[in-house]
Amino acid sequence: MARAAALAAARSGRRAGAFSLGPALAVPAALLVAAFLAAPLAVLFRYSLNRYSPREFMIDAVTAENYIRFFTDAYFIGVLATTVQVAAVCTAVSLLFAFPLAYLLARTDSRWKSALVIAVVFPLMVGNVVRAAGWMAVLGNDGIVNHALLGLGLVTQPVRLMYTPFAVHVGIIAVVLPYMILTLQSVIEGIGRDVEEAASNLGAGPITVFRRVLLPLSLPGVIAGSTLVFILCMNAYATPVLLGGPQFKMMAPALYDQFVRTTNWPFGAALAFILMVSTLVLTVIGTTVLSRRMHHRRLEAAPR
Amino acid sequence: MSELVLDRLRKEYGSFVAVDDVSLHVREGELVALLGPSGCGKTTTLRMIAGFIEPTAGRITIGGRDVTWDPPYRRDTGMVFQSYALFPHMTVAQNVAFGLEMRKVPRAEAETRVRRALDLVRLGHLADRLPRQLSGGQQQRVALARALVVNPGVFLLDEPLSNLDAKLRLEVRVEIRELQKRLGLTTVFVTHDQEEALTLADRLVVLDHGVVQQVGTPEELYEAPANLFVAGFIGRSNVLRGRVVERGRFVTEAGLALAVPTDGFEPGAAALALRPERITVIPGAAGNGVSGRVALVTYLGAATEYRVTLDGGESLTASMATPRPGDPLKRVGAGDVVTLTWPAETCRLLAPDRGAPTDEGGS
Repeated sequence: MARAAALAAARSGRRAGAFSLGPALAVPAALLVAAFLAAPLAVLFRYSLNRYSPREFMIDAVTAENYIRFFTDAYFIGVLATTVQVAAVCTAVSLLFAFPLAYLLARTDSRWKSALVIAVVFPLMVGNVVRAAGWMAVLGNDGIVNHALLGLGLVTQPVRLMYTPFAVHVGIIAVVLPYMILTLQSVIEGIGRDVEEAASNLGAGPITVFRRVLLPLSLPGVIAGSTLVFILCMNAYATPVLLGGPQFKMMAPALYDQFVRTTNWPFGAALAFILMVSTLVLTVIGTTVLSRRMHHRRLEAAPR
Repeated sequence: MSELVLDRLRKEYGSFVAVDDVSLHVREGELVALLGPSGCGKTTTLRMIAGFIEPTAGRITIGGRDVTWDPPYRRDTGMVFQSYALFPHMTVAQNVAFGLEMRKVPRAEAETRVRRALDLVRLGHLADRLPRQLSGGQQQRVALARALVVNPGVFLLDEPLSNLDAKLRLEVRVEIRELQKRLGLTTVFVTHDQEEALTLADRLVVLDHGVVQQVGTPEELYEAPANLFVAGFIGRSNVLRGRVVERGRFVTEAGLALAVPTDGFEPGAAALALRPERITVIPGAAGNGVSGRVALVTYLGAATEYRVTLDGGESLTASMATPRPGDPLKRVGAGDVVTLTWPAETCRLLAPDRGAPTDEGGS
C-alpha cells in the first residue's frame, strides 16, 4: 500500500515537475531580452521625449517636439518614404528571384544539393561592408560592368552606376536573398511532391499547379521570408551608406548621423522609434493581408 | 474507358535497368495488378504510364493514342497515390472538383458530379471538411473519388491500401473492386501484397528486376507458375532441385526418385515445385509415398502445417486441414514418422536457373 502510494506520489510529482519546467525554460531567454532589448529601448524612448540643446546636449523634458519635427520636415518624411520604398521593392524582387531557386533546392535529388545550399548560405559569411566594397568594384566608373560596356562599344562614357538608388537596391537584394531562399526552401520541402503530381495528373499544367497548389501551400513561407527580409531591408545601414553615397538617405544611416555627427540624441532616439514602429506596422499590415488572402481563398472556393 | 498498351517499355538509370522491356495489353474494363517485391520496377512502370517518369524507350498508348511523350496533364489517367496526396488547403469537395475544374466542366454539372462521386464513396456528408480532419480510410476514399470523378481513360492505383490498417484494408479492397467493376474502369494496380493482387485482379503481372516473369489470371499463376520466382512469390511452394533422368522420372539431389509429368523437359537439371496444400500427410510408414520425420507442427487454425524432413535429408512443408479430435493425424508431433503423398500431376517442373524470391526489405 505504502509503496503504491509512494509510487503514485512520485509519478504525480514527476508530472508536476514536467509542468513547472516548461515556463522555467523560457526564463534565461526572457531575462536576456529584458536586459538587452527592453531596457535599452525604454531608455531610448525616454530620450526621444527629451529636448536637445547644442550646449547642454540633452535637457530632461517630456515633449513630443522631436516627433513633430520629423513629421513636419519634408526631408525626413522623404527619408522614411525612400526607406519604405527600397524595402518594399527589395522584398518583392528577392521573393521573385528566390522562389524558383528555393523550389529547385527543395526538389532536387542531385548529390550537389548540399553544395548548392552552401553556395546560398556562403554570402552570409561575408560581412555587409565587404560585400558592398565588392559591389563598388563591380559598379564603379572603373568597375567591371563599365569596362565591359566600354569594351563592347555599347557606351562611349562610363555609365554612372555607383551612388545611385539602383546600386542600393542591387546591394540590399544581394544581402537579403539568402534569407528568403532558405526560408522558402524549408517550407517548399514540406510540401509533398505527390501533391503537385496529383494536380498534374488531374489535368493542371505547370502554371496552374503553381497558382493553385504550390503557391497557396507555400504562403506561410512567403509570409515568413518576406517579413524577415522586409525588416532587414528597413534597417539596412552599410549598403545604403557605401553604395548610395551621401545623397541617398535611408532611416538607419539618418539616425546614425543624429547620434554621432549631430549628437542630437533626443531626435536620433525619435528616429529610431519611428523606424521601429513603421517597420512593425507595415509588417503587421503585410502579413495580415497575405494570411487573410490565404484564408479567403479557402473560404471562397468552398461550395457552401 | 480505354484500353492501355505498353510496348517494350524501358527505363534505365545510368547502367541500372529499372524496367526492362515491359509489354502489356490491359483490355477495357480490366483490372491488372503489377506485383513484385520492392525495387522490381512496378511503381516505375505505373509512374511512366501516368507520365511522371519519361521512359528510356518503348511506347505507351491509351485508347489507341500514343501518349509516350505527353505530359501528365494531357494523359487522361486518374491516379490514386500511396500517400493519397490530397490538397491540404482545399475541402473534400474542392479536392474532388479540381479535375473537373481543369476540364472546364460547367459549375452546375461539376457540383452534381462531385456530389455523386462523394456519395459513391459514402462521404457526401463530409464534403466541407479539410483532409486533415478525416481519418486515413476517409482520406483514401476522397482520393478515389477525386480520381474517379473525371472518368479517366485509365485508372491507376499505387499501393493504395498500404497505409490502412488490416481490417480497413479488407473493406477498401472490396470497395475498390466493386467500384471498378460497376464503372468498368480500365485499371492498373500496383502492390507488393500477393494476396491483395490475387483477390483484386483479373490478371496479374509478376515483375522481378524490371522483367516480366509471368502474366496471367490468378489461377494460371497459382496453378502453372512459369518459373521458380513466380512459384515462390504467388502462394508458397516446396522446391526440390534435381534432374529429369527419363520420361516421367525426376531424381532429387538427395537421390529421391519421383514420378513427375516431364512434358517439355529433356533429361537434365530441373527443379520441382510442389504446393504445401497438395501434399497429404499419413501418420506412420505407409506403402507408397515418401517417408520422413516431422520436424515441426504449426497450428494455424483452419489449417495445420507439418514440416517434414525426408529420409534423404530434404525438407517438405505440407499443409492439411486441421485434423479433428480422434483423427490419428491429431497425435502426430515432432519426431514422428509420417508418409507424404501427392497426385503426380500437381508437381510442376521448372527450369532450375532462377532462385526462389529472396526477402529483400524496403518498399
